[in-house]
Amino acid sequence: MFTRRQLLKTSAVGFPWLALQGLLDQEMRAASADPLTARGGHHRAPAKRILFLFMKGGPSQVDTFDYKPRLQADHGKPLPFKKPRVQFAPTGQLLGSPWRFRQHGDSGLHVSELFPHTARHADSLCVINSVHGTNAAHGGALLKLHTGSDSVVRPSLGSWVSYGLGSENSNLPSFVTICPTLAHGGVKNWGTAFLPAPHQGTPIGNASLSSADARVPFLENASQPRDLQRLKLDLLGRLNRDHLKQAGESGRLEARIGAFELAFRMQGEIPVIQDLSRESKATHALYGLDEEITSDFGRQCLLARRFLERGVRFVQVTHSDTKVQWDQHSNLREGHTKNAKEVDRPIAGLLTDLQARGLLEDTLVWWGGEFGRTPCVQGTNGRDHNPDGFTMWLAGGGSRPGIRYGATDEFGYYAAENKVHIHDLHATLLHLLGLDHERLTYRYAGRDFRLTDVYGDVVTGVLG
Amino acid sequence: MPRISSLLLVLAAVTLVDAADRRALEEFEKHVRPLLIRRCYSCHSAQSRPLRGALRLDTRAGWRTGGERGPAVIPGRPDQSLLVKAVRYRDEALQMPPKQKLSKSEIAILVRWVQIGAPDPRREAPGSQAANGPHWAFQPLTAPPVPTPQNDNWSSTPVDRFILARLRQSGLAPSAAADRRTLIRRLTFDLTGLPPTPEEVAGFLSDATPGAWSRVVDRLLASPHYGQRWGRHWLDVARYADSNGLDENVAYGNAWRYRDYVVDAFNADLPYDRFLLEQLAGDLVPSDRKNVTARHSRLIATGFLSLGPKVLAEVDEKKMEMDIVDEQVDTLGRALLGLTFGCARCHDHKFDPFSTRDYYALAGVFQSTRTMEKFTKVARWWENPVATPAEQAALDQHRDRVTRQKEAIDRLTRQALKALGQTPGSGETASDEKKFPEATRKKLEQLRQELTSLESSSPPLPTAMGVTEGEVINTKVHIRGSHLDLGAPVPRGVPGVLSGGHPVSFPKKQSGRLELARWLIRPDHPLTARVFVNRIWRWHFGRGLVASTDNFGRLGTPPTHPALLDWLATRFVAGNWSIKRLQRQILLSRTYRLQSVPRADAMAVDPENRLWWRSPLRRLEAEALRDAMLSVSGTLDTTVGGSLLHVGNRAYFFDHTSKDQTRYNVPRRSLYLPVVRNHLYDVFTLFDYTDASVLNGNRASTTVAPQALFLLNSSLVESSSHQIAVQLLAVPAADNAERIDRLYERMLSRPASSREIQLAERFLDSVASVLPRTTVTVVDRWQALCHVLLASNEFIYLR
Repeated sequence: MFTRRQLLKTSAVGFPWLALQGLLDQEMRAASADPLTARGGHHRAPAKRILFLFMKGGPSQVDTFDYKPRLQADHGKPLPFKKPRVQFAPTGQLLGSPWRFRQHGDSGLHVSELFPHTARHADSLCVINSVHGTNAAHGGALLKLHTGSDSVVRPSLGSWVSYGLGSENSNLPSFVTICPTLAHGGVKNWGTAFLPAPHQGTPIGNASLSSADARVPFLENASQPRDLQRLKLDLLGRLNRDHLKQAGESGRLEARIGAFELAFRMQGEIPVIQDLSRESKATHALYGLDEEITSDFGRQCLLARRFLERGVRFVQVTHSDTKVQWDQHSNLREGHTKNAKEVDRPIAGLLTDLQARGLLEDTLVWWGGEFGRTPCVQGTNGRDHNPDGFTMWLAGGGSRPGIRYGATDEFGYYAAENKVHIHDLHATLLHLLGLDHERLTYRYAGRDFRLTDVYGDVVTGVLG
Repeated sequence: MPRISSLLLVLAAVTLVDAADRRALEEFEKHVRPLLIRRCYSCHSAQSRPLRGALRLDTRAGWRTGGERGPAVIPGRPDQSLLVKAVRYRDEALQMPPKQKLSKSEIAILVRWVQIGAPDPRREAPGSQAANGPHWAFQPLTAPPVPTPQNDNWSSTPVDRFILARLRQSGLAPSAAADRRTLIRRLTFDLTGLPPTPEEVAGFLSDATPGAWSRVVDRLLASPHYGQRWGRHWLDVARYADSNGLDENVAYGNAWRYRDYVVDAFNADLPYDRFLLEQLAGDLVPSDRKNVTARHSRLIATGFLSLGPKVLAEVDEKKMEMDIVDEQVDTLGRALLGLTFGCARCHDHKFDPFSTRDYYALAGVFQSTRTMEKFTKVARWWENPVATPAEQAALDQHRDRVTRQKEAIDRLTRQALKALGQTPGSGETASDEKKFPEATRKKLEQLRQELTSLESSSPPLPTAMGVTEGEVINTKVHIRGSHLDLGAPVPRGVPGVLSGGHPVSFPKKQSGRLELARWLIRPDHPLTARVFVNRIWRWHFGRGLVASTDNFGRLGTPPTHPALLDWLATRFVAGNWSIKRLQRQILLSRTYRLQSVPRADAMAVDPENRLWWRSPLRRLEAEALRDAMLSVSGTLDTTVGGSLLHVGNRAYFFDHTSKDQTRYNVPRRSLYLPVVRNHLYDVFTLFDYTDASVLNGNRASTTVAPQALFLLNSSLVESSSHQIAVQLLAVPAADNAERIDRLYERMLSRPASSREIQLAERFLDSVASVLPRTTVTVVDRWQALCHVLLASNEFIYLR
């Protein structure tokens, strides 16, 4: 049998050899073509990458970014219209927000005193007050938010983006999720389902670990000096090339030789990204790494910026402790105060930093939880899950700055005006990244699948 | 074009109507049409992708016929018209346009238009769905003659003659046979998921008598490891897992019984028709009441229907119920028939001839089946008791003891009360007890303590996930798949296109699972055997004769060898659905024994090897890779069956904590490791294991850098290579060359070449030079070499 190299030498002999050469190259390209190669989307778009600041548990809209004076006024009165057919738990009368709202910036956006630092960026925010979903339980809502489906297994948003755009850095994965929660869908929230495996999110740590201890799996090996590893890789390369000659040319075998070299480079690159000592003291302070309450989430945000600036396409950070972080069925005041304090400074620092580095223009930042909370009280001092109307915001990446889009009713229960369903949001995020949600399809089990199934409209009102 | 033609039609229409009508039409053109265009056409016109609710509002026929809910407008009756109902936003399930309610004046325009009889000049007929022609997979099974290629001195079995005939049509010849070392390695991994031992290789090499190959085939088919390997293939199709996944990740603590049932079924060569019957209706199969083991194993088999992921905290219980039914219908369709019934939950199938009625006819069978104990969050799935007579007797005995203890307490209390002059049973209270004599009180306390400890030491009653019969009902059509919007009930039934003109009748008092199963295993069923023999072919060759193993519908790939597929299927059914017999037929062929090296002439014609001129190069699957590492390092624990879960049935693997305590550093075969949905074992995820939530008869085989990281840095690879080194050094050898040779035999089933010995010796020396001299041991050096071989392409790829 002929190896490719032998064929190269004898290719002058006759036409069939040339033909085979062409075919082998084709096979090799097909098999080894890196599915993560960067590629343009469907249209020119402002955002090249996206960062999701995920607030696990469901932050309350009426206590943060959705100002409802009527709710304050009618505190203790009954909700004057019907509650949803399906509720997670029974709730009582209207509960006014314990926090004051103030208008900020030229835009005059209302932000509650829970987010004093983020509020300084009001003029960069595109606050969507009319988001609504379909599921009132954490698991279903997380899956809906991350995969578009709360009943069946589907690829996650991040893997769709990776599939659509590839990665700008061939030494790094295209989709990274920092300290994700394993509960409520776990891996499915960054999984590929039926999309090709390289589009799977790479988890760095999980919610049970401090972000300081979060690592990429199998990246390090304390018991093995780098010199020894290099030596092993050299022998491995020789044996694999010998085997390749024996086995005949195969794209997959060559691709695997390449994969080991890439792994070796990743081992060099990722620890550098994770080494925050390379950042100045001022930067550390900007992200709140100098204070205990903000350091964990601040470190996640700083890591996120370091991955983003090196070309990772989709980065997610998750604010989730080993409980359900923002899930204040009771003790709203204590819980939300602590939660907001943990994230407010880091988020503001991140926005400042992205802006200063010119990254905010082509980086889409997206903030929110899996649902909001009810304006009606649960127990004596809590709020229940509310998927029927809640708030998320965008910043940068071509989103329209300094606006409030859509609205809930007077009490903040139902999305009422310019409603934005999760599917619409997904369509819009993809649009800002240059992807047409109706054309971003994958053929599986005999049909073309989309992130948005058969739904979704781009919300033009939030485009810059 | 449509726009122009409808304009012409408008003009034509206008000339025909009288003045009153003309005014009405003017009104339509001035107010109604612009409103419809502005607010409705984006979802309800010829241009809509997708067309929502199958409703078009851009033609008159569109609203007259209506969409999924029926006619949208009843002229003259606004209150009965769905269109008006929708825009009024009074019904939670029907609010249009969905984003923002129309203004009051806009609603008034529509109401008035309907009131005056909905005059509408637009006459273009709405588009119709593509007609359904015959599709190969729905045609009856045929028994094609085996081809007889001329001058055929190559073929040894009918399979070969089919393959050769097709190759010759394309001007190709099959490649040469692979050598014996390659073959025994290929076959041993294929049938058992493990590498051959050096002794097994030597035995095969030295067997010069005829029939050596068929003896190896038979030996491996009879190995208990065979069922562990092939049972695992079936588990891919059964979307097997040990946890629920989706939202609440609780343990399917008894799923392992189903896994072990499957392994046993493959080892025992349980006929496939029986295998299906038990999985769908094991609880309903008439049985010998005395054979308890057999009855239990059939109950366990119905776990197939229950293993799917469920949204257990779904607040909307009706939605949960229908989602579970849907998962069952979808799994049944894709696993057993290669059909995507699931599509028809919301709309008639776009490509295959299944209507929503067909879907809900099947759904009725599963809605009449009890899969869940309760739907209230967190919901509980049903489990069937599977206690042996001895276990049951122990439990009964224990219950008797509890009863006797309670009686003793009662008795004593009654006596003491009588002594106090009170009538027992007339509401004695704790304060009465205080008046008892001290001895009585002490005795009572002692008896109660005994009762408590007795009650807490109840012997466990073994149960198995599975189904039982539920309340028999005919499911109503769920319009657009919504359980809030129900149409007419559909009698339970099987899809018309597959019934071959013999509709199956379903009993009034049973779910109909038994009838459904019996219909599936009818010898003349067009799909059951075809789909399964194709799966077997796929698992042997890496690609099916129908490449889309789970989709035999119109959007699937047509078979490369339709006659071979039908021949295999027919023989399979005629051979009493014996899986091992089918496999023997395939494995004894020369086709299976070809070399894998590419050939220039064949690459030019068939680069993808769709015609099987060579054997495919294949990467080991996740389980085979891990098991091979444990096997060559001599640490594999071959214990059979049982559970390795560290949490009890229905307990959370991890909830909000994200702390998964599951351990995988157990040297058991990978088949037995916990399959935790939402947080699968790293090695599984990295090497293309199934998602374990959705069935997958055609696993991918990717090559990505994180796999390399795993092979470079994981503790599994490190400990395996260490073990190999230790064992290698424990046996005396003349020199390093001999050791290296043994290492190659053990890991790669072949001796090392002189070049490889040289490279390895040089490597061993270099290792010493990069490690600190004071601490480096001879084991360290050999471990490094073993590590390289474990990571090598030759170890992980089968030729």
